[in-house]
Amino acid sequence: MNVQSKLPLTAAETALVEQFGTLVGSLPGNAEMVQLRDRAIQSIKESGLPTRRVEAWHYTDLRRLLTRLPTNNAAGDVADLESLVMGSWRQVIKNGSIDTIAAPEGVSISAMADALRADVSGVTIADHGVHDAIGLINSAFVTDGFVVKVDDGAEIAEPIEFQTLHDGGQLHVRNSVTVGEGATATFHDRQAGSDAEALGTVVTDLKLGKGAQATWVTVQETGDASDHLAQLNITLEEDARLTLFIVNLSGKLVRQEINADVLGEGADLQFRAVNLLGDSQHCDITLSLGHLVPNTTSTETVRSVVTGKAQGVFQGQIRVDQIAQKTDAQMACNTLLLSDDAGFSTKPELEIFADDVICAHGATVAEIDHKHLFYLMARGIPEKIAQGLLIKAFVAEIIEELGDERLIGVLETRLDHWLEMNG
Amino acid sequence: MPAVQETIDQVRKIDVDQYKYGFETLIESDKAPKGLSEDIIRFISAKKQEPDWMLEWRLDAYSRWLTMEEPTWARVEYPKIDFNDLYYYSAPKSMSGPKTLDEVDPELLKTYEKLGIPLAEQEILAGVQERRVAVDAVFDSVSVVTTFKKELSKAGVIFMSISEAIREYPDLVKKYLASVVPVSDNYYAALNSAVFTDGSFVYVPKGVRCPMELSTYFRINEKNTGQFERTLIIAEEGAYVSYLEGCTAPQRDENQLHAAVVELVAMDDAEIKYSTVQNWYPGDAEGKGGIYNFVTKRGDCRGKNSKISWTQVETGSAITWKYPSCILRGDNSRGEFYSIAVSNGAQQIDSGTKMIHLGKNTSSRIISKGISAGKSNNTYRGRVSAHRKAENARNFTQCDSLLIGNECGAHTVPYIEANNATAQFEHEATTSKISEDQLFYCMQRGIPEEEAIALIVNGFVKEVIQELPMEFAVEAQKLIGISLEGSVG
Repeated sequence: MNVQSKLPLTAAETALVEQFGTLVGSLPGNAEMVQLRDRAIQSIKESGLPTRRVEAWHYTDLRRLLTRLPTNNAAGDVADLESLVMGSWRQVIKNGSIDTIAAPEGVSISAMADALRADVSGVTIADHGVHDAIGLINSAFVTDGFVVKVDDGAEIAEPIEFQTLHDGGQLHVRNSVTVGEGATATFHDRQAGSDAEALGTVVTDLKLGKGAQATWVTVQETGDASDHLAQLNITLEEDARLTLFIVNLSGKLVRQEINADVLGEGADLQFRAVNLLGDSQHCDITLSLGHLVPNTTSTETVRSVVTGKAQGVFQGQIRVDQIAQKTDAQMACNTLLLSDDAGFSTKPELEIFADDVICAHGATVAEIDHKHLFYLMARGIPEKIAQGLLIKAFVAEIIEELGDERLIGVLETRLDHWLEMNG
Repeated sequence: MPAVQETIDQVRKIDVDQYKYGFETLIESDKAPKGLSEDIIRFISAKKQEPDWMLEWRLDAYSRWLTMEEPTWARVEYPKIDFNDLYYYSAPKSMSGPKTLDEVDPELLKTYEKLGIPLAEQEILAGVQERRVAVDAVFDSVSVVTTFKKELSKAGVIFMSISEAIREYPDLVKKYLASVVPVSDNYYAALNSAVFTDGSFVYVPKGVRCPMELSTYFRINEKNTGQFERTLIIAEEGAYVSYLEGCTAPQRDENQLHAAVVELVAMDDAEIKYSTVQNWYPGDAEGKGGIYNFVTKRGDCRGKNSKISWTQVETGSAITWKYPSCILRGDNSRGEFYSIAVSNGAQQIDSGTKMIHLGKNTSSRIISKGISAGKSNNTYRGRVSAHRKAENARNFTQCDSLLIGNECGAHTVPYIEANNATAQFEHEATTSKISEDQLFYCMQRGIPEEEAIALIVNGFVKEVIQELPMEFAVEAQKLIGISLEGSVG
């Protein structure tokens, strides 16, 4: 399935390899980490970045899209962002270095750089094979990140907010977040940056222990010249429940990969994503979800609004293992295309080896329903406003599922702003 | 919901062990030496008394094939094929162009009789009064006989083997051959272009509604032969044709290769209906033997308001790699794909369709039902795309699958690509088509739940089967009993 013939290295690929030569001495990590980095860059050197011939990158030809590498010089100062929700515990990382750590009681937070120097075994720097470009680039160049451990049984009332900020250049961040048995926590993951040319890779391992409950909200609003490559690796133990929410608002080339394995019976994953895409953005959400044990559930809903010359992608793969009987997985991907130059491609994929399961997927792509528009316009609402209302209704339905009124308010403001700029 | 006993029994009835077309016909045959080379291609071309341009065309295809790589993206696994260990030409010896049925080897006629295919023109299918089907029977590499030729030619319809057409209507063949599936479209299409030995050619002139169903039966008999047939169907402006295709092969331990190319061209207001019941030998329960069915089928709705409809019932073959597609080029053109794919034993199916919307107001509909049992794997793979200029493109896709037992797999890989805001695509893969309302309606009238489910689902499957012409519907009937409750996307 994954065939890619050997091609000469592109400028960006060559730059990655060369940059590694200059940087390797200054990157944090013990001898084992250096080996890991070395292996990662060797893999890029040998196989190159994935093209559309690699199934997982079918709609995001990274080799073609990642044309050049921005400089890796430490860029200018970045101002902290105000928290999405007042009272959040803010963890700030700027241009790849930790700026602020603030841990509530019941949570320990430390620097990934220290972890890499001490003992790599506690931190997974695994990749998903030769075509895992995000994992490989990140492993080669990771500078820092947060290691977060929520104690067993802890109930963290206010959100823990990660701010990953940049002012151009490169940023390679790795986080490891563990939610202990029976613990409850909410995480806000914010990716933001200036409009200077940038390349960021952010890899996060999120582990939920037995009976843990967590909400993870990623708000991606990086700069218009940023290539943002993110990867979330998730495992859910018995009876763990995760609500995962991703909002993509900007960026030039964006890829959000989610690799989730449901490992314990009774576990549940609720995945929601909203993409608001305009200009010539390219935004790709690729989900690979494995139901590996019996009696687990998941729902996935992706809503996208695409205008301008933007290209949206959603690839959603649900794998149901032979023993995973009674799996219930429901996936939907709905898209509104607002301009003739915009495009959306989707591949909702099911791979099922168990015979007593309920799995379904639905996908729609359409423009705004003329009848709906007519209904509103007949009541004196100007076309543009009517259109805005309908888009808002389409997206807000998902946002409102979040439950937290404060966060919903913040996200709806973002939505209004987007509509103003793109409507 | 797991499958009910009735369903399991039905599937067992058509399990690989029950293959009833596995007999072999002992008949003397004329074979080319094993292997593939320019000489073999020259040999085939000479045997077929082809004009020089055709030989050139084949050699060009061969040289392109040599530079191509075998595709590996499908979800199928098989040992590497040694393309030099195959016979590329095999013909029944007595077959040097019979003028009438009497000249045909009686052994051959018996074979077709065993298969239930009436070659004799006077014969009318049981129960189907006044209904006649013109048959082109292809045995190993050559077309044995084409029936009802005279009557068809009265209507202006050309229906003959493609080798005859190359000799008799070179201009038509030149104009349309490879115009839908280019020579280097894919590995197997290129191989087919180099070595195809026979197949059917249909030309329906402007405004003609083909007076009867046209049908081809393919039979691979010889050991170690590959069958590479080529079918080309052209419906001129306002024409209509319904074409049926059936396939069987003897039971053998070795794998045999079948790599066909089918091209359909529909001009303005024309309609082509193409139906297949594919029942190649699927191998035994352990996966020994069976046909590798690597087929490229594509229809081009070239004209305005044209329509191409594919219906397939896939039960045979060890491995199926097949995506009957429609290129919706003409404005207001329509493509349809109806499929029931049943895999059993160690069969592997990777099949689906492509609907490429290029013209304005084009529409397409995909209904696919996959049933996997035993240790088989059944994948639906489909692409629906709207070009930037394809205003008001519409697609509706539904694919359901059912698993029986926990050693098999069912997979769905749809690719949906919209590049026009007015395009409207809907893809649906639901657990079951049965709505609670329908079920309640039946049960409230005293029908037990299980029966109610069977009733509703059978009604739904029938919708696909009814797309088949009568003759094939009979053959597909045995699948109707299979209920699809508890199906997964």
